Amino acid sequence: MTSTPDHSHVIAELEKHPAALLAAYEEAKDRVTAAIGPGSALKWAEEGVQLANLGARAWEAATEYYKASPQVVEIIGFPQFERWLESGTALVEESPVVASSFFRASPDVLPTLAPRHIAGWATLGQSLSKGTWKSSSLAARFFDVSNDLVQNVTFHELQLFVALVQTLSNRSYDLASEALVLGQRVLPAVGEREELISLATVLAETSWREVRGSFEAASRVSLSVDRKLRRRYFSLTERLARTGMANVSAFMLESAASLARLPQEQQMVVLERAEDLADTSAEAVGAFIKTAPTVLERISTVQLDDWYHRGLEFLKENPDGGVAYFKLESQRAEQLLEALSSSIELERVRGLLGMYANALAGTGVQLQSVGELAHKNIGWVSMELATTDGKNVFLPEMVDQRETKAENFSWLKVVTTHQVGHIEFNSFDFNFNGEASRFEDLRRKVADGIGAKPSTTDVSSFFDMFPARALAADVFSVVEDARVDANLLDRYKGLQEHYYSVQEETLKGRSPIHEMPAQQAMVELLIRLSLHQSENAEVPTQYVQQAQEIAALLRQVQDPNATVEDTAEATLRIYHLISQIPNDEVPPDDWEEADLSETEFSEPDVENIVQNLQKQMEEGEEGEGGEDYESPEDVEYRGDFKPEMVQMLAKMKGQQSGSEDESQEMAEGLTQEEIEQMLRDSSEVDFGDDAEVQQVASNMMKEAGSDAPDNPSAQGYNSIPHQDEEGGPLEPSEPRSFVYDEWDFRANDYRPRWCVVQERTAVAGETTFFQETLQQYSGLMDQIRRQFESIRPETYRKHKRLPEGEDFDFDAAIEALIDLRSNISPDDRIYWRRNKDERDVAVAFLLDMSASTAEAVEEGSRDGEWNAPGDPVAYTAWLRARRGETSRRPYKRIIDVEKESMVLLMTALEAIGDRYGVYGFSGFGRENVEFYVIKEIEEPFSDKSKRRLDKVAPLHATRMGPAIRHAAAKLAKTDAKTKFLFVISDGRPQDRGYSREGVEKEYAVQDTRMALMEARQSNITPFCLTVDRNGHDYLRTMAGDLGYEVLPDIMELPRRLPQLYKKITL
Amino acid sequence: MTEQTYQRHNIEEYVVDSEPFYLPVADEVALFEAAYAERIPILLKGPTGTGKTRFVEYMSWRVNQDRVKAGNPLSSLVTVACHEDLTASDLIGRYLLEPSGTRWIDGPLTRAVKHGGICYLDEVIEARKDTTVLIHPLADHRRLLHIEKLGEVIEAHPNFLMVISYNPGYQNALKDLKHSTRQRFVAIEFDFPPRDLEGPIIEHESGCNRETAQQLALLGEKIRNLIGQGLQEGASTRLLIYAGKLIERGVAPRRACEVAIVWGLTDDHEIQKSVMEVVTSIFA
Repeated sequence: MTSTPDHSHVIAELEKHPAALLAAYEEAKDRVTAAIGPGSALKWAEEGVQLANLGARAWEAATEYYKASPQVVEIIGFPQFERWLESGTALVEESPVVASSFFRASPDVLPTLAPRHIAGWATLGQSLSKGTWKSSSLAARFFDVSNDLVQNVTFHELQLFVALVQTLSNRSYDLASEALVLGQRVLPAVGEREELISLATVLAETSWREVRGSFEAASRVSLSVDRKLRRRYFSLTERLARTGMANVSAFMLESAASLARLPQEQQMVVLERAEDLADTSAEAVGAFIKTAPTVLERISTVQLDDWYHRGLEFLKENPDGGVAYFKLESQRAEQLLEALSSSIELERVRGLLGMYANALAGTGVQLQSVGELAHKNIGWVSMELATTDGKNVFLPEMVDQRETKAENFSWLKVVTTHQVGHIEFNSFDFNFNGEASRFEDLRRKVADGIGAKPSTTDVSSFFDMFPARALAADVFSVVEDARVDANLLDRYKGLQEHYYSVQEETLKGRSPIHEMPAQQAMVELLIRLSLHQSENAEVPTQYVQQAQEIAALLRQVQDPNATVEDTAEATLRIYHLISQIPNDEVPPDDWEEADLSETEFSEPDVENIVQNLQKQMEEGEEGEGGEDYESPEDVEYRGDFKPEMVQMLAKMKGQQSGSEDESQEMAEGLTQEEIEQMLRDSSEVDFGDDAEVQQVASNMMKEAGSDAPDNPSAQGYNSIPHQDEEGGPLEPSEPRSFVYDEWDFRANDYRPRWCVVQERTAVAGETTFFQETLQQYSGLMDQIRRQFESIRPETYRKHKRLPEGEDFDFDAAIEALIDLRSNISPDDRIYWRRNKDERDVAVAFLLDMSASTAEAVEEGSRDGEWNAPGDPVAYTAWLRARRGETSRRPYKRIIDVEKESMVLLMTALEAIGDRYGVYGFSGFGRENVEFYVIKEIEEPFSDKSKRRLDKVAPLHATRMGPAIRHAAAKLAKTDAKTKFLFVISDGRPQDRGYSREGVEKEYAVQDTRMALMEARQSNITPFCLTVDRNGHDYLRTMAGDLGYEVLPDIMELPRRLPQLYKKITL
Repeated sequence: MTEQTYQRHNIEEYVVDSEPFYLPVADEVALFEAAYAERIPILLKGPTGTGKTRFVEYMSWRVNQDRVKAGNPLSSLVTVACHEDLTASDLIGRYLLEPSGTRWIDGPLTRAVKHGGICYLDEVIEARKDTTVLIHPLADHRRLLHIEKLGEVIEAHPNFLMVISYNPGYQNALKDLKHSTRQRFVAIEFDFPPRDLEGPIIEHESGCNRETAQQLALLGEKIRNLIGQGLQEGASTRLLIYAGKLIERGVAPRRACEVAIVWGLTDDHEIQKSVMEVVTSIFA
């Protein structure tokens, strides 16, 4: 290295520019020289000077040029370097800022970019720059994000993308640069870039704001739509976009979400249909893809074709109707779907079968899905088998195993009837000491013989007698099921055909009896006989005699007069027979076909039974050895029969189910431990571990209502400040607060300005509560609506015997004539007229939101239990303790029923057009009477009111007086002719300090009475409705000469409230 | 020449002369007889189709049996079905217009009072309020009928008895019996007969076979379980009898129940379907 070219002229030139330039040069010089040799290095240095001199801010670009150079020459070598520089120079002439970005990005980009594309890359950037400041900044942005792009997309795609950005930039630079960033983020994640860019290009021309949305949605599409179908998906979307479909991104998001619910083959089918549909209507495509998963849940892919084509035809005839069809918003679509689908959804027949079940049972049975019961985790676990808890019937959510809809429905009807049969024929009323009608009663004698003690329920007392409890329970179930079936078949002759065919089908599906060990085979035989298998049955040769006896015993209970006690007697005898049979394999040759139809059973000797049971007890469970006994397969249509659990639950709920013997008394106040023990003993539930037992036991207690109800409500409502009870008048301190007097009946005078009512708008929740309630009560709602609609036409009434009118009232006219002739002075009211009686009613509803409305409804309300601490802190703790931890509430609270009733009534009121307001009240102390507005009287009914109603929750105390006064004040402001005030409460008015000297309950009652009287005086008709069974006591005082009603059963409220409303306001 | 194919009676001369079929459910016959002996007015309460009218006919026949033996004149039965336009003069009587003046004609109540019949006011709450003015003095110790237009007061014949009926099912604030009215009557409650009694009634009245009658009674019982759950009123015995008659005439049982019971019961399509499921369970 003798002659190093002199760089001093370069340095001198560079020193004319800011120091950063020279620094960049100095730093890069040695590395560049090392890479390309001193000669070329000089050229390199001089090129930089030239760059720097190209314009005002060109030195910045030159700085970046020097900085990037060492890496660039190492990557692409000097000859390519020259071309790179050329591109750069061209850019500097365009805009130094853009060139800076170009140089800066190069070291990262060039390793990936093919050398032949370097110039093209630069040109792409240049194409974005149009000489304005904004365009330069866009171009610079392009180079900044280039690295991520070239790493992941082909050059061709990059060109397309830049073309897109350019199109966008014609509209808005902000949008274009946003698109760049989006592209950087989204494109790498999307497989079908070309299609996406092509789609976006279409959008950029038509609805350019959608570009962003489509990019965002594209990544969702990649996650949802099958890889093989995505290309088609994008081109479909593009087609739709070209037709001018609005809101493409929403379409993409919805359709992607919808397709994600389908497996690949169905996605393909749906997409193919959608492509066809796109020729006709873009809107229909969106609707179709969106509803497809729902539709495919109900019908098969093949049936979809049928459904689709009908829709397509319809669409061609009537575009709007067609779209509604594909949205499933048309009756026609629904009907066709219904017809195509052979499955029966419980939800669709719940009302129908529910009423059917009610008719049969006569006890207010509700139908629910088994899933709901399993969810409660109170001992029932099956998600498929129908069952009953003695009150309600639980059915599978979907029945689809048979070919036609009619068959599936018949099957479900048989299943429902069987479960209801257990209720109708009193399976759960088993009384250990009750008399059997078809057998001699041996239970008591045997129990005495083995020294068995009565247990908590009659069923467990019975099962406790048997060492092989599971065997006894299985036999009992089969025999009882058989008894119920026999009763049903005798009573419901019309059901026989379906019932027998279900039984026949069940028989066919049973596992071969030959493969079972002897004891199990005998239980299986019992099942088959109960399913009306022909009585020539395959039986182990050794046990033909026992089989004959079993058949005869079963026949005894298959009689309409047999009771559940007969089942128990039969069980005792059958158990005696089967338990003595060892559970050994039976060789294939040792079976014979036996006639079981003729024999009578022989009464066993009590001594014998006792000895047998004692022997088994000594030997441990399976007395006779052999294999372990396994319970037989379920009989699906009979579902899950758990008499022991049902009696236990009933006992916990304090219902006297059937028997009245001494053991009943033990039931009251079962402890958790006792319940756990019973659960462990029972063979009706299988438990993994002890924790599970505890969980189920505590769930059962909750179900039975012996636990305090939890109350996870009231979020969003204010906590309460506190003020001393003594002291003088109060002033309204906040906006929307009002002061009212209170009546002191001892002083016989008002306490002036005593209570502050804080009016608040109730917290908004969801509207779903409203909709769900309407669905839940749809039958009742229809009824109410009809009743209410009938009110309107009555507004035109013929009024007779008027002094003037449209025409003569003939009766009156003739009478007048007669009077004339008889020389009596006639009545001149001889006309009639139709009078339009405008209904002009305003009504305010006041809902009790006191803490006691958190009570579970089965329990009824507990009056007089009000012993809440006076201090707010302690009070809140007390409330929380009552609430418990669980967030899901399996039972209904009083407030829930209040709310549901309001839903129905509000809907009904909308039908007749009465003005109404809905308010909730609660409070704590006289300075905090909370008054929640759910709907103002003059406020139109809207989603807002629905939302607010949703969040109505139990809060604090009940100071009725001020709340009534406030509501009355609101009513007084309206100009309606007739005004009503409905107070719906769950107990007597109570509040801290709502008494004299804190003791006299009478004070609250008297103040409330006075408030009601005041309302009456301002021409408002008040009415009190309470669900407190003891309500007569104080209501007589409170509202005696006004109107009131005590509802003995809160569940009646949704029905009763609208009735009352109609009755009172007419 | 037309042949008279109907029987014509003056209101006060209509007597139930052959024994109507009536199966007592409880002690209502004894109660009626005791009240009749003391001439205490009687209120029959109960839903439609529970046999109130039939019961009155039966009792009217029954109280005449002693008179038949003794050869005394028989007591008639005057039935008035009340409706909302029924006025006091419809019961008492009115002047009729004649070319040369007017002529008074007694109403059914006046006739019963004069001739000592049983006056049965069916569905009395339907009648206009002014009728209570008539009922009150007749239904207490006075047993007087005031005829204002004639300026007369009539003392009731010793055999006269007032029987009224009402159906508490229609309850409405406006349509309720006043306490002052109620408290002049002894009340006998009617309800649907239990299944084992209703079966024979249906069998007798419709002439269908025993099994069908029992099935119809079962259907009646099951349908009545739905009162208050979509049904305002249960299927009356009358409807069950109609169904029995249709079946006896050869109509398929399911169809007979559909037209005679289900459709008569309600117009609600959903409830009809549910009730039809009960029908198809009971009848093959």
